[in-house]
Amino acid sequence: MSHSSTTTASPAPSVPHTPLPKLPARRRNAQDKQYRIGNIIVTVLLSLGAIIMLAPLVWTFSTSLKTHEAVFALPPQWIPAPAVWENYLRVWSAGPLWSGIKNSLIVAGSVTVVGTVASSLAAFAFAKMRLPAKNVLFLVLLAGMMVPFPSMMIPQFMMFATIGWVDTLLPLIIPGLFGNIVMIFFLKQYLDSIPDSIIEAAKIDGASFLQIFAKLILPVIKPAIAAQFILWFMGVWNDYLAPIIYLNSPENQTLQLVIASFNATYATQTDYPLIMAASFIALLPVLIIFVIFQRQIIESVALTGAKG
Amino acid sequence: MSTITRRSTLHRKEQRVALIFVALPVIGFAVFTIFPLLFSVYASFTEWNGISAPVFTGLANFQAMMVDPYFWQAMWNTLFLMIGIPIGLSLSLLLALALNRKMRGTTFFRTVYYVPVISSIAAVAILWQWAFNGDFGLINQALAMIGIDGPNWLANTATVKPAIIIMSVWKGMGYSMLLYLAALQSVPRHLYEAASLDGAGVLQQFRNVTLPMLRPVTFFLVVTSIIGGSQIFIEINIMTPGGGPEFASASIVWYIWQKAFNYLQMGYATSMSLVLGLIVFAVTAIQFRLNRRNQFSID
Amino acid sequence: MKSRFKTGIVAAVAAAGLLLSGCGPAATGAGGETLTFMFRGGADEKAAYTKAIGEFEKANDVKVNMIVTTPDDYSTKLKAAIAGKKVPDVFYVDPGSVQAYVKTGVVKNISEFVEGSDSIDLDNIWQYGVDSYRFDGKLMGQGDIYALPKDVGPFSFGYNKTMFDEAGIPLPSADTPYTFDEFVDVAKKLTKDTNADGKLDQWGTGLNVQWNLQPFVWSNGADWLNQDRSKVTVDTPEFAESLQWFADLQNVAKVTPSVGEAQTLDTYQRWMQGQIGFFPVGPWDVSTYEKLPFEWDLIPYPAGSTGKSATWTGTLGIAVSNSSKAPEKAVELAKFLSANETAQQSLVDAGVQIPNLIDMSDQWVKDSTTKPANKQEFLDIVKDYGRGLPANSTYSAEWYDELFKNIQPVLDGKKTAAQYLKEAQPKMQKYLDQANQAAGIG
Repeated sequence: MSHSSTTTASPAPSVPHTPLPKLPARRRNAQDKQYRIGNIIVTVLLSLGAIIMLAPLVWTFSTSLKTHEAVFALPPQWIPAPAVWENYLRVWSAGPLWSGIKNSLIVAGSVTVVGTVASSLAAFAFAKMRLPAKNVLFLVLLAGMMVPFPSMMIPQFMMFATIGWVDTLLPLIIPGLFGNIVMIFFLKQYLDSIPDSIIEAAKIDGASFLQIFAKLILPVIKPAIAAQFILWFMGVWNDYLAPIIYLNSPENQTLQLVIASFNATYATQTDYPLIMAASFIALLPVLIIFVIFQRQIIESVALTGAKG
Repeated sequence: MSTITRRSTLHRKEQRVALIFVALPVIGFAVFTIFPLLFSVYASFTEWNGISAPVFTGLANFQAMMVDPYFWQAMWNTLFLMIGIPIGLSLSLLLALALNRKMRGTTFFRTVYYVPVISSIAAVAILWQWAFNGDFGLINQALAMIGIDGPNWLANTATVKPAIIIMSVWKGMGYSMLLYLAALQSVPRHLYEAASLDGAGVLQQFRNVTLPMLRPVTFFLVVTSIIGGSQIFIEINIMTPGGGPEFASASIVWYIWQKAFNYLQMGYATSMSLVLGLIVFAVTAIQFRLNRRNQFSID
Repeated sequence: MKSRFKTGIVAAVAAAGLLLSGCGPAATGAGGETLTFMFRGGADEKAAYTKAIGEFEKANDVKVNMIVTTPDDYSTKLKAAIAGKKVPDVFYVDPGSVQAYVKTGVVKNISEFVEGSDSIDLDNIWQYGVDSYRFDGKLMGQGDIYALPKDVGPFSFGYNKTMFDEAGIPLPSADTPYTFDEFVDVAKKLTKDTNADGKLDQWGTGLNVQWNLQPFVWSNGADWLNQDRSKVTVDTPEFAESLQWFADLQNVAKVTPSVGEAQTLDTYQRWMQGQIGFFPVGPWDVSTYEKLPFEWDLIPYPAGSTGKSATWTGTLGIAVSNSSKAPEKAVELAKFLSANETAQQSLVDAGVQIPNLIDMSDQWVKDSTTKPANKQEFLDIVKDYGRGLPANSTYSAEWYDELFKNIQPVLDGKKTAAQYLKEAQPKMQKYLDQANQAAGIG
């Protein structure tokens, strides 16, 4: 950190912008050329990397279309011949895949919808409203983030066991409805950029807090809400530890458990096409959402990080 | 006087509404975090099978933990698997630097590298389990093309942890890449311009401008990755049921889960989970401490 | 704006409420009682049970919800259900868990319902099966009955007859077991490269240590525990000798697929593809093995120094929950599954077990139309020389599992059996002491 004086973390905006001295045209061309060659090399490397990133997914799909025997063919076939599309029909009757999708939707849907409402109202209160000791309260909540779920899961399990909720979706849903401190944290960061005076003015105009929230706050934090919503949804959708503890009956299991038990059941029969078909189906919904909204999702995730 | 009373009634009303707004998360926190945590503290001093009432046994669980080779092995495995964190962060920084160039196709690459992040971890673990198969797996097929006879990754004590690390890096790289990219794009141009006027080369610019500007993101990623890494479970449970060859891939959460729900040793499992929680807390606190000191030196 | 926002919230809450209402505890159907039955198994078992239970439902005016899990998941799932206070009314229990479940009050003492009952004749059920679930508060095998056997599973030994014929080797005897040396000799002759590509593609055998070590240990005069199960006895020379012999099958005699080959395609798959000469056969395998494209039959296990063949007889019990809301019906269901002729017949027909009923198995053993030909071997094991798995008689199986956790170096030939067992014994003893202490007999 010997250069610390020249690398101030936050640049002072008032410093006048020094224009770059113009370079001679020839030198600029040479630099351009160098940059272009650099781009070509980088593109080639990135493409190789992209193949590595996608290969396992493509391989899954390819395997899911194979016959039992073709899975063990050497050298392996990338394009299965014949392509056994029946695997995708078989898979629905081979296990409770459909109820798994339904259960996952119920859990992830209810948690994120209700939890988002709870979180954004709380974020509003923490950021902009008068409440004694609210900063202490907020810090305590934040510290709770550091408690790993495994440290609470056994007492939580016994709590839900006592009221007879084991083997239902309720233990997965209820805790989420109370909001999510990560989301509150990011929304609060966001709200700090709104000047208090605007809100004070609205208050003097006699607007209720719900109105202020809806008219002034919501439009500002909408992108942040969307980002957090999507991330949370995917988090709940992909959760595994809590479901594996709580859910016993096959028809109550979430999608992730269903495909894991496909894996356990059909691996002994080496029915890999079936396992891969189920896994691919589990991947597909999120994959489709991602491809459609990829720009928004990526931008909002990036934005989340920038705020963090 | 009247305006003051009016204001204080208003304030009181505001406080009431604010209380309602924060009530849900606070209640949730009390019921689903504080209470279980306190109960954990109590239960960790008991012998408890989850069926009958807990029996107070003092420090017995913690003493047993000290001499339980599997506890230490699981701790070590969990720590070892975190090697993936620096590897993943370095790779994703390189990726972000590459994607930060002005060139075609960056959007496409960004999407491709992000796909594993959004994919379900259970499905990903299943497909990598198959990819690591000794004879028919994708990895060894690829290695065979360059003349390497690959091991049976998940069945070998020496390779099972590296295999899981490879998978985790593949899965998580896109996320940190994205955050790095966003941070890179928010570095003010004039800083580079100023540095280049000072005669700084590309490497020096990277060291003196880029890296310091990436410090907050790096800090965020390191803290969250360590918290996440200490809880690794799904990959282990799916890819190496039984904790892998000779317990070589059993993580601490996996071991806690086994003890609690397969051997019904809830008291012992709780005490281990408490130790895990304390370690995570301590490590995070130390990181915040160090980070604050570093920021001081920058300012 | 205000109203729109409020409507939004209301709609969101309502939507969540709607979603939630769909996932509360399952409501019981109108009238009639509902029983839950938790068991493990594959598709064949599920189909057989579905049929049998359909009849039970009709005859008893109850509804039975079946929860089926994979064999690997069963123990964890059941324990989670018990800890979660959602004990199924009727469920499978293995003999090793009985003591713990009795002590914690999970399973019901069903002696009064089954001893001298009209609807079940205990004398017509294999004694080994019934006794596996007797517990007198101290020792297993005597005292009150806490479960009825779902089956008895004699773990026999099979050989690929077609392979013997092709190799021109005399068939093994169904009466006199091989000695260890004879077995290795035959296995060596079967291990070869049949298509001359320089790689072995046929092996004498390929056994899993966890399920196959016991016959060789016992027939060599060794055992896991002493008589009153207070001491782990794996550090005897006889035990070491048999484990070493077992490991040497791979490393010295080289009559099994290599570690790598076995991991790629396990020996079960290779046996089914006709690449393995000798392989264990349990009754639950018969439905799968019937369709194999080669001839196979049963023989006694090769015997060590005692000259007498040994093996284990598995069993699963059907227990009734102490917290069942309909205990009589639940006991009836357990009786039905264990001893009802129609129910037994559909399970036997499905090829997943041998009959629980002695008179029915006398019929079954004479049937020459179904495989295997030497069914008598199964019955001999049950009646005569089969034993319970070592962990069946203890409070917890942790001590027993410990032996197999770090055994790989022995199988890989990197450590001698004697050395390993010497290291393992104290660790196992510690877990056994804990188990005995928990059982109250420390």
